[in-house]
Amino acid sequence: MNTSIRRRAFAGVLALFAAAAALFAFASSNSTTLANGAGLKPAQTGAGETLLNGKRGGTLTVYDSEDFEHLDPGESYFALDYEVMYATQMPLFEYLPNNTTVAAPMLASGPAVVTNGGKTVTVHIKPDVHFSPPVNRAVTSADVAYAIDRGANPNVANPYFQPYFGDIVGAAKATGGPIAGIQTPNSTTIVFHLTQPTADLLIGALSLPISAPVPESYAAPLDKDKPTQYGTSSEVFTGPYMLQSTASGKFLGLGYQPGKSATLVRNPNWNPKTDPAPAYLNKININIGGAAQVIGLQVLKGSDSVQNDTPTNANVELAYTKYYKQLYAVPGAGDHYVSLDNAKGPFTNVNIRRAAYAALDRAALVKIAGGSIVGEVGTHFITPGSAGFAQSGGNAGPKYPWNEYPDGNLSVAEKYMKAAGYPSGKYTGNQVLTIVQADNGNSPEEGAVVKDAFTELGFKTKLVLVDQSVLYAKYCGVPAAQVSACPSVGWIRDFADPQTILYVPFYGPAITPTNNSNWGQVNEPAINAAMVKATFVVGAAARAAAWAKIDDMLVDQAVAIPWIFDDQPNIESGNVRGINDLWDVGEWDYTYTSLDNP
Amino acid sequence: MTGYIIRRLLWGVLLLFLVIAVTFLIFYLLPSVNPAILRAGRNGSPKVIAEISKDLGLNHPIYVQFWNYIKEIIFHGNFGYSYYYNDPVGGLIANRLPATLSLTVGAAALWVLIGIPVGIISAIKRRTFFDRAAMGAALVFVSAPVFWLGLIALYLFANDIGQFKIFPGSGSYVGLTVNPLKWFESLLLPWMVLSATSTAIYARLVRGSLLQVMGEDYIRTARAKGLPERTVILKHGMRSAMGPLVTVLGLDIASLLGGAILTEGVFDIPGIGRLNIDAIGHGDVTIVQGTVLVASIFIIIANIIVDIAYAFLDPRVRYE
Repeated sequence: MNTSIRRRAFAGVLALFAAAAALFAFASSNSTTLANGAGLKPAQTGAGETLLNGKRGGTLTVYDSEDFEHLDPGESYFALDYEVMYATQMPLFEYLPNNTTVAAPMLASGPAVVTNGGKTVTVHIKPDVHFSPPVNRAVTSADVAYAIDRGANPNVANPYFQPYFGDIVGAAKATGGPIAGIQTPNSTTIVFHLTQPTADLLIGALSLPISAPVPESYAAPLDKDKPTQYGTSSEVFTGPYMLQSTASGKFLGLGYQPGKSATLVRNPNWNPKTDPAPAYLNKININIGGAAQVIGLQVLKGSDSVQNDTPTNANVELAYTKYYKQLYAVPGAGDHYVSLDNAKGPFTNVNIRRAAYAALDRAALVKIAGGSIVGEVGTHFITPGSAGFAQSGGNAGPKYPWNEYPDGNLSVAEKYMKAAGYPSGKYTGNQVLTIVQADNGNSPEEGAVVKDAFTELGFKTKLVLVDQSVLYAKYCGVPAAQVSACPSVGWIRDFADPQTILYVPFYGPAITPTNNSNWGQVNEPAINAAMVKATFVVGAAARAAAWAKIDDMLVDQAVAIPWIFDDQPNIESGNVRGINDLWDVGEWDYTYTSLDNP
Repeated sequence: MTGYIIRRLLWGVLLLFLVIAVTFLIFYLLPSVNPAILRAGRNGSPKVIAEISKDLGLNHPIYVQFWNYIKEIIFHGNFGYSYYYNDPVGGLIANRLPATLSLTVGAAALWVLIGIPVGIISAIKRRTFFDRAAMGAALVFVSAPVFWLGLIALYLFANDIGQFKIFPGSGSYVGLTVNPLKWFESLLLPWMVLSATSTAIYARLVRGSLLQVMGEDYIRTARAKGLPERTVILKHGMRSAMGPLVTVLGLDIASLLGGAILTEGVFDIPGIGRLNIDAIGHGDVTIVQGTVLVASIFIIIANIIVDIAYAFLDPRVRYE
């Protein structure tokens, strides 16, 4: 389990229009300042949403500044992709929109059965789920096996295959062919044999899109292309909706036009008796592109529409003040933190890391991000709503002096600088700290706050602003780049297991020379050992406790500085009953969303 | 003239080659996303990235990669393959070209039809209220960034978010062949916004050129011959004043055909500009190279057309 995973949430506003947003905000919103959040009533969280009793029919328009990355269930690993995946495909398990902790059987006919001391997992599937045209036939367990097998095919290159499926017997060396440890004794049963007792993690991962069935006869020829054309040009579906396609299943140019639009229509072979989702809407038109600040206004002032990616701060403010019922700020959308280079330079000293933690004005960073509506001050790494959050201190976080002052406390910081061997409380060495940050949106301001904190401790600093597209690929994700700090790295969970939050960003052996997601190169032997041990813990409560303990250790060692528990702001038109997936960054769930007047 | 055109075309080909080379080098030398990582996904393992690098030929020396790229363009008309969209770049550009063409041609027509007459009237009626008002407005529009103007126009006049619901707003674009009427309606506001700055520039340019030309001796001669003022201005004055205008017009249209990035972005028009800016955001090198190449072709062709047009506008110009 040494492959890195990092799932991307919605991106911010296009940098190109950031300046315009400020000007436009002046014209389109009132002057209420929400940034400090004092005395404001909380935004709706989506937690009390009624999932059923919606009205059937109508067309929802979805505005989306960003395009999709992958529409293949074997490749998709991005919040926008997931919205389409969970509306069009039926994985073995799936979280209901209002449940953040337990995945319900979807294609599976019941819960997974664990035997052999956690080394064997058996899942039975529903017999009467059918593929969309042109395949049309009933789904079998072999289709699920192929879906997972192909994840290891380099032409598919599923990003989380090795971390979550790598313990299946034979998976470590799989390249797309049948994996020995996945067996299908009959058409409705699939059995996973594991090399280690990691059944809990595997079952959690069976809620990801990769477990949605893929018919080998249809997909195998497409999977020979580099990259696969399955999900790029053609695909078959099992969910209530499908991308509008030709008779041969080709959707490229019809149901999906890159950079322009995607159209979801009802899947004629979907059987409502096999799926708890009500699927109220007749059609979903996804409009790709456009300026985020314009889209937000179109949604708030218009009808039948939602904004898919993150609204601008100005539009969130407008929604809060004038369209309160059309705004949701969904918690559990992940967290952001300042990575500190634990491998080289001053931050190899734990007391200097603690000093930096204490000095940083985390509350200021939250204000820059948009204030209390878009998040709370981060105090540790397991996010709200995730197992282990409460055990590791809840909102207050672990009790350590450097974690006690959201606004920063220089005297506490200087105490740890003295402990690090600097009697004056200020750094007197000659190493320069390199801070690398994206040059778009709020990022430069966030970088400046971090720079200020380090400067207060006596460090000479160099703040380097780079294009978002190379931030990870060339700097924060490349250990050889020797970046001292990346102020806004972030993480979101893959499913309701705290291992999916902590393992990759902080497990030492998971460090890779490129595309590295352990940005601070955290490699503490005690933490590594605790993670290995926690991986094999069985049972949700015990796992939560074990990973909460690791969360505490991470804060104790100040391996990075958490500064925000993100909330995902979502906006909808007045006549939309939009349902947010609370388990996963609050994305819209098209299978439960409905219109008041279809 | 034929020899001149052939020589210009050959120079154009050489220039295109240089543009391709420079674009290629820029992405090779400057920090950008490794295409193999882009195709492998954000979390592709080193093994997968290495395999994809091999498949894409990224493990070859730069001159081999460059030669392969050039070879594909020249012999197969293949601009490469988008790492992000998994689609041929040529097809993506062809798909976006009609929207950009629609936007550019309409806007150019507007700024020519409005900018030139306003410039002429301002020159003729110098220091009148009309002149001062027109040049004042021109100053405002020249100073207004197009993305800001676009947003304000939407906020004021779009039929969804506007205060005065007159024109279809952002995201309303439909293709000409899909619905000509809706195509026309959807482009009205973008045309006005895109042409606003150019209209202002052209009005000022025409005014300045015409004022200069109208003081020339041959204009006085034309008047002395008793020609009507209308003929003096349009036939003798404007013909000389058109020279710099044609130069600017050719280059303006050509550069817009390479993508009106900001206008396409604000009005959500799926043209080449938006394709390009999205590709830059994704680090999709082949699309950027393809769009730069297309823009260069337009500019080179426009330059040649402008040079030829000179010969017709100014009898003194002769190409050997």
